[in-house]
Amino acid sequence: MFGSKKNNEEINYNEIPAHIRRRPYYIIAPGLVILIGIMIPFITAIFLSFTNYSFRLPKWSFVGLRNWINMFTSKEFYHALSVTLRYGIFATAAEMLLGTGVALLLKKDTKYSRILKVLFTFPLMVAPAVAVLIWQLMTSNTVGVLEKVLNLIGVYNFPWAASHSTAMFTAIVIDAWVNTSFVILLVLAGIQSLPKSPFEAAAVDGASAWFTFKTLTFPMLKPFMYIALLFRLMAALQEFGIIYALTKGGPGDTLMNISLTGYINGFTYQKLASALPFLLVLWLLINKTAKFLVKRQRHLANQAAGK
Amino acid sequence: MAQIELQGITKKFGDVTALSDIDLTVRDNEFFVLFGPAGAGKTTLLKTIAGAEFPEQGLVKIDGQIMNHTESKDRNVSMVFENYALYPNLSVYDNIASPMRSKLYKRDEDYIRQSVDKVTNMMKINHLLERKPSQLSNGQRQRVALGRCLVRNPNVFLMDEPLAHLDAKLRHFMRGELKEMQTSINSTTIYVTHDYMEAMSLADRIAVLNHGRIIQTGTAQEMYYTPRNEFVACLFGEPEINILEARRQVNGADVYLTLPGQSVKLLPAEDTAAALREAETDNIHIGMRGNDISFAFEKNGDDWIEGSVYANEPIGNKVIMTVKVGDIKIAVTCPNDTAADMDQTVYIKFNMVNAIYFHGETQEFIIRNNMSRYTKDQQEG
Amino acid sequence: MNQHKQKGIMRILEPVGRNLGLTLFAMFALFPLIWMVICAFKSDAQMYNTVFRFTPTLENFRAVLIGSDYFRAFFQNLLVAGGAVIVTVIAGVPCAYALARYNFRKKEDVAFQILSFKFAPEIMVILPIFLIFQKIGIYDTYLGLIWVYQLITMPLLIWVVRGYFEDISVEVEQAAQLDGYTWYEVFFKTLIPLIKPGLVASALLAFIFAWNSFTFPLILSGSKIQTITITALRYIASDTVHYGQVAVASTIAVLPEVIVALFIQKHLVRGLSFGAVKG
Repeated sequence: MFGSKKNNEEINYNEIPAHIRRRPYYIIAPGLVILIGIMIPFITAIFLSFTNYSFRLPKWSFVGLRNWINMFTSKEFYHALSVTLRYGIFATAAEMLLGTGVALLLKKDTKYSRILKVLFTFPLMVAPAVAVLIWQLMTSNTVGVLEKVLNLIGVYNFPWAASHSTAMFTAIVIDAWVNTSFVILLVLAGIQSLPKSPFEAAAVDGASAWFTFKTLTFPMLKPFMYIALLFRLMAALQEFGIIYALTKGGPGDTLMNISLTGYINGFTYQKLASALPFLLVLWLLINKTAKFLVKRQRHLANQAAGK
Repeated sequence: MAQIELQGITKKFGDVTALSDIDLTVRDNEFFVLFGPAGAGKTTLLKTIAGAEFPEQGLVKIDGQIMNHTESKDRNVSMVFENYALYPNLSVYDNIASPMRSKLYKRDEDYIRQSVDKVTNMMKINHLLERKPSQLSNGQRQRVALGRCLVRNPNVFLMDEPLAHLDAKLRHFMRGELKEMQTSINSTTIYVTHDYMEAMSLADRIAVLNHGRIIQTGTAQEMYYTPRNEFVACLFGEPEINILEARRQVNGADVYLTLPGQSVKLLPAEDTAAALREAETDNIHIGMRGNDISFAFEKNGDDWIEGSVYANEPIGNKVIMTVKVGDIKIAVTCPNDTAADMDQTVYIKFNMVNAIYFHGETQEFIIRNNMSRYTKDQQEG
Repeated sequence: MNQHKQKGIMRILEPVGRNLGLTLFAMFALFPLIWMVICAFKSDAQMYNTVFRFTPTLENFRAVLIGSDYFRAFFQNLLVAGGAVIVTVIAGVPCAYALARYNFRKKEDVAFQILSFKFAPEIMVILPIFLIFQKIGIYDTYLGLIWVYQLITMPLLIWVVRGYFEDISVEVEQAAQLDGYTWYEVFFKTLIPLIKPGLVASALLAFIFAWNSFTFPLILSGSKIQTITITALRYIASDTVHYGQVAVASTIAVLPEVIVALFIQKHLVRGLSFGAVKG
């Protein structure tokens, strides 16, 4: 910069000194590098979806909207969409209901509840593939203990993941086994952070348990439940690990949600570019839903704080 | 200790202008008070001097040196924040010792121990040295913040409502301590408060701020007796000064004022008559303090105005009686054994000698009597 | 009188009902884990004809730990997950600070974008990354995996730590600067200790997510790096007869996290609630 130190008029004292102005950029530099490194795949995915890139072909070229049109006119896509939505909604619903219920049961602080709170975090720690392993161990038609229990009530060779009708059920059970604890912990944390005075006032006024729940507990818990809902739904809609480990999408195509479909098409069949539109649609779905839920949650949290 | 100058300071936060063209000079060794309502910009002003905020326009000078580009740590100023800003993870001892442990102002541990002890003894918190801020009451936290500020030897002390959360007795005690300390160590202090009694008792000079602008600068006397406008007049005094809307009447050589709906002629004091006659408007506001109004339960003369008792508040060594005259309420200071019933008829008379006159529309000061007694040379800033 | 009796009955029934419900769920949640541990000690022969009464054996442990490269997979998992968390902390904490303190247009949009990386379908990201990694030669390397893991570890950390930074009033920083500390000293000596709870919580949670990750290692690592989740898969595919070994593999895969969960309960909850609960 110009402005020798002799001539004070040259220095603009109302301009923030350079090293302070640049500081924010230095701070975020490493993070920015990583984040951009992550952004690149997204952009590449969008770009490649308009090509016919494949591992088989030596060269690739633009094909415009062909992949997209093929997808929207394929039965495969709508089936995958249906599986995705069904799995996502049912798994999340089961986890929300079960999780909230257990959290409410754990509200009363007893020795039993304290022990259980610690123990309940264990399933959450288990990796999806390992969870599948454990359940297969239990449900194996030959050595599984669950099988033996079911035998006692006259059910033999329950197919679990091997049949069209029970595969979705099995996958959801495993998903719920791992992830319900997440909802429990979150809702419990919410319950424990609630202010005491409204409840004391309600007790003085002689309110019934149901009334207290409906007008006080539930509305104040909503922000926490929304967070749980957000994370579980987003994860369930794109669940890959559990399904892959369980049946790789089978039997047939019962469990082929969009993630599985994209993987199979992209890697097993090596038709990378045609798999991408599927996944981009999934991403769009998740993004829009997440944005909506986050906005609602922010609104609800403000409301609850204002009460 | 140093002289602080602000020239043309403007500070904006997005669309909001917090400070607007502020010119201020605080002399070396002066105890200077910034006074004004909440949101006036007092804290922002203090932070601009400290270097925590960067002005969009204007210069900050300490002892004649431009400090705009100097970072807070190098300005050698010390500050008490309104929300204490204590380090939550450090003990009281470590909080107060903190300024003496930085590379810039480093002292050895013995000196630190001595200084901390001295300061905590004065603040009466020397039994709390091991506690963390979360284990202290508000008043105790405030004293720790004060302690951290006072333990240094800076160019200037900046204090943002440092006594606000202390009980009355402690506040009184601390006021004395602060003033005494200031004279003994020759420090320059800029002190923010919205308690006018504190302002008047502590200040060498006061600046009144409102909406980011300085309204008036001067001694406490000047504020009280010759306020620049009605806003300033209302800030000082308990009960709040009565502003009476009056009509000026000129009748040949005579100038007098009447209240709406009243026939009583209010005669201004000798040396004020000329200025009142020359005023551009007939709409004159009379500022009348509660203790310049006499009251009686019988009409003692033609210049007494009839009213009724609206409220009667004994507040210790005096009673504030609110008298309703027509539609207006007037606060009168009475001796502390005055008793009156609601709606009882009462008569009041104004002592026009001490009246302060304001322009009805602009609310600016016109004149009061004996002005030379109350104004010094109007220093800039 | 009737109401009184009703209340009396309720008072007895309530805890019974509650404990019953909790016990039912506890069986659902915990039994599989218990069964897994039991199976680990059962020899293959005993799998078929015994349920709870059997003679324990360490045969399965020997087969898995010594006879295969499971141990290697364990350590690789540790390296990758640990490395990812370290990178996340170093790069993410300053970003969280920037998001908390500095104001700029579209700040909330940027914050949401970062969070949305966590939600992005992993498979969608994987396919292009697979190509890119092969092109620039970091396929099947620690560096590649650690970079990709940032997708699941960084958003969480930034989100939680940002909340903690926002809770510290800016005056504390200003006071420290007035005391004579440089901005960097203030950041490391004053601010970091204050966000430690949130940092620890989210770092732990990030570690757990990284440890459990399945899709990334599946596609992005080949023979050199075999994380534990993938190795576990092999047991499903191939060794369908050695159930005991399957059980051992699962137990080892789960053990570290269970131990960690036992000791850092408090932090876990804080991290899981994404800073919604600051207790």
